[in-house]
Amino acid sequence: MPEIGRLAVCLALLFAAYSVVTSILGGVRRRPDFVRSGEHAAFAVAGLVVVAAAILLRALLQHDFTLEYVAAYSSSSLPTQYTVAALWGGQKGSLLFWAFMLSLFTAIVQIQNRDRNRALMPYVTATLMTIAFFFLALLTFVTDPFERLPVAAREGADLNPLLQNYWMMLHPPSLYTGYVSASVPFAFGIAALASGRLGDQWIRSVRRWALFSWSFLTLGNLLGARWAYEVLGWGGYWAWDPVENAAFMPWLVSTAYLHSVMIQEKKDMLRVWNLVLVLLTFALTIFGTFLTRSGVISSVHSFTQSGLGPFFIGFLLFVLVVSGGLLVYRLPDLRTPATIESFFSREAAFLFNNLILVGIAFAVFWGTVFPVLSEWVRGVKITVGPPFFNRVNAPLGLVLLFFTGVGPVIAWRRASPRNLRRAFTGPVLTALAAAVALGVAGVPPGYAYLTFVLGCFALGTVGQEFWRGVRARQAMLHESAPRALSRLVGKNRRRYGGYVIHVGVVSAFVAIAASTAFRIEVTQPLKRGEEMQVGKFRLRYERITTAEDAHLSRLAAEVSVWRDGRQIATLAPEKRFYKKPQQPTTEVAMRSTLTEDLYVVLGSYDRDSDLATIQAFVNPLVSWLWLGGIFMACGTIITMWPAAAERRATAFALGGARVPAE
Amino acid sequence: MLTQRRFVIGAALIGAAVSYLVYGGIRTTSMYYFELGEFLAQRDAHVGEALRVKGWVRHGSMRWDARTSELAFELARQDDSEPVPVAYRGILPDMFSEGREVVVEGRYQDGALTARQIMTSCPSKYEPAKAPS
Repeated sequence: MPEIGRLAVCLALLFAAYSVVTSILGGVRRRPDFVRSGEHAAFAVAGLVVVAAAILLRALLQHDFTLEYVAAYSSSSLPTQYTVAALWGGQKGSLLFWAFMLSLFTAIVQIQNRDRNRALMPYVTATLMTIAFFFLALLTFVTDPFERLPVAAREGADLNPLLQNYWMMLHPPSLYTGYVSASVPFAFGIAALASGRLGDQWIRSVRRWALFSWSFLTLGNLLGARWAYEVLGWGGYWAWDPVENAAFMPWLVSTAYLHSVMIQEKKDMLRVWNLVLVLLTFALTIFGTFLTRSGVISSVHSFTQSGLGPFFIGFLLFVLVVSGGLLVYRLPDLRTPATIESFFSREAAFLFNNLILVGIAFAVFWGTVFPVLSEWVRGVKITVGPPFFNRVNAPLGLVLLFFTGVGPVIAWRRASPRNLRRAFTGPVLTALAAAVALGVAGVPPGYAYLTFVLGCFALGTVGQEFWRGVRARQAMLHESAPRALSRLVGKNRRRYGGYVIHVGVVSAFVAIAASTAFRIEVTQPLKRGEEMQVGKFRLRYERITTAEDAHLSRLAAEVSVWRDGRQIATLAPEKRFYKKPQQPTTEVAMRSTLTEDLYVVLGSYDRDSDLATIQAFVNPLVSWLWLGGIFMACGTIITMWPAAAERRATAFALGGARVPAE
Repeated sequence: MLTQRRFVIGAALIGAAVSYLVYGGIRTTSMYYFELGEFLAQRDAHVGEALRVKGWVRHGSMRWDARTSELAFELARQDDSEPVPVAYRGILPDMFSEGREVVVEGRYQDGALTARQIMTSCPSKYEPAKAPS
């Protein structure tokens, strides 16, 4: 069976190569038959890679320890859901998974564009298949997921215990989905450059894909944060680790693109800038994979290190040279006469928001690669840690939050004083009221305070937009408020979906500011029955319990939580000792509410003295980060939901061949 | 054209602000990262500075006091030679044990490292060595 998997990968590689060549030939020579043939080959690639992935999954589920990958990343006692997760838990599997997603997305793009974008499609196919070719070549020649062990292993070495977690089921697939789907806008950008059709047709075609990619990057980042928060046990959710930065940078650039593209659609400006952002987003996804796979930059939780670095750097250079070359070649055609007329305009607000986003991406990039650069240039390795990133990004983030409030309501072209008054009186008053209220409530001045105030400003603009929209409909159409609201959103999905996303962003900002500025941490060794105070909570160490099964043994400390003399919860933070990779891990126990998380860790336990070291954190408003994620997800769904007219068109296109039009 | 020029200036100002933040951030928060050998060669030049040193936990050197959460061990080469004493107070990282490769973040003073944080790198056995055929 594994041999069939290997064969499928090899064949897919050949088909991908064929598809690249015929598509380009078809595009250059204007031969539709070549183009179709290239597309058919792309379908074949998708089919073959699905087969290969299915075979690897089957080998995992059947515990076929003759395979090196299965023996290295799973075991017979690994729970089934984590056995499935082992498909992307190791390097080879994750590369195959990448190829799987890419070929699937390519197939979807082909179907979507059977009768559209025919001038662009040859180059779209060629670009996507070139990327597929790269990954398939790695799988064929460098790291074969179907490699057999010389002697079958009796038992697998098992998946890293840190990855045996609920969130790890969701985090990598969603991040990969975000990464891989960024290839589609990239491919269309390249196709626009290659074909010379530089208008905004390509941009409209990839609007949904860009949003899709962005939303899964968002989700992937948040799920990763959630995983780190629950599993790593250091009390936080984000450590500015290179691997985290690798996922954060494409998100920043992709966010910039989603905003600047609106300017091109409305005003036909920033064509070059938009192309640069699309190319950069894709390049950063490859760079991110390079960071995680190469081990060039030491990461505290890098799970995989290998010799793949040079291949990724090579491919990255290839991507940069080709796309940069095409961009320079088309530069004269990309000029547009339109210019920004005033600082007080939506164009300007979006432009500055873009610069800040790219600036943050640049700062993160610089901090991530600085150790390597300093070693090259000065011969000494100099590292920067979270203090660097926080220091640089906090002020930039505040400016960004300000523009989050300004962008949606400021007028296009040139805002008159009247427009400014109308747009900003409400939000500014909201912000001022919040500033006073927070001051009275005793929030100390600082970044957190400013974040709350600016957050209220941004929420003020969103709230005002909803309010005015609903009122206008009520006045004109005499609709009830809920009906007016749903109609309002339904008729302007993109706009109001965007506002909902903004609410999520503000929520995330507030969570990050509060949990960074106001967190409390106490570590104390406790004997049975002893207590410790953390903020307003009192913790009492009650007893230690143990449990054991074939897979792991646990040591849990029962801790009762008291507030105002009343017991409100019992928490049981654990130490787990996994048996196959013999490794202890920390299981955090949490009491999570909207206002704060009480986060309790069993630091260590000394059997002789029955002494448990309890580390407890009070992290304010962390829930708002996940809540923000939910808002962002809802906003994205609203934005992407097809409008009624589109639905009819799709239904017609799908059924049109068979059902005669009435 | 006047506004156009203003925009270039505005963009340049943002660029300058970002560069300044990055530059200042690196100046004030960066620290040296040494392998133990490099550190031994130039430790006297870095007394009192925040730095990171990578080395191995010397076998037989680890002393952990659960009552006070105080950890003392020696950072050494892989063969346990040239030890440097390390003092740390806090939670013991899960993967910490003798013979393990660790990165110590802290300050060097009076011939010893006072650690603020200890990072254990993930063991390489998750990328298992190929079995000899």
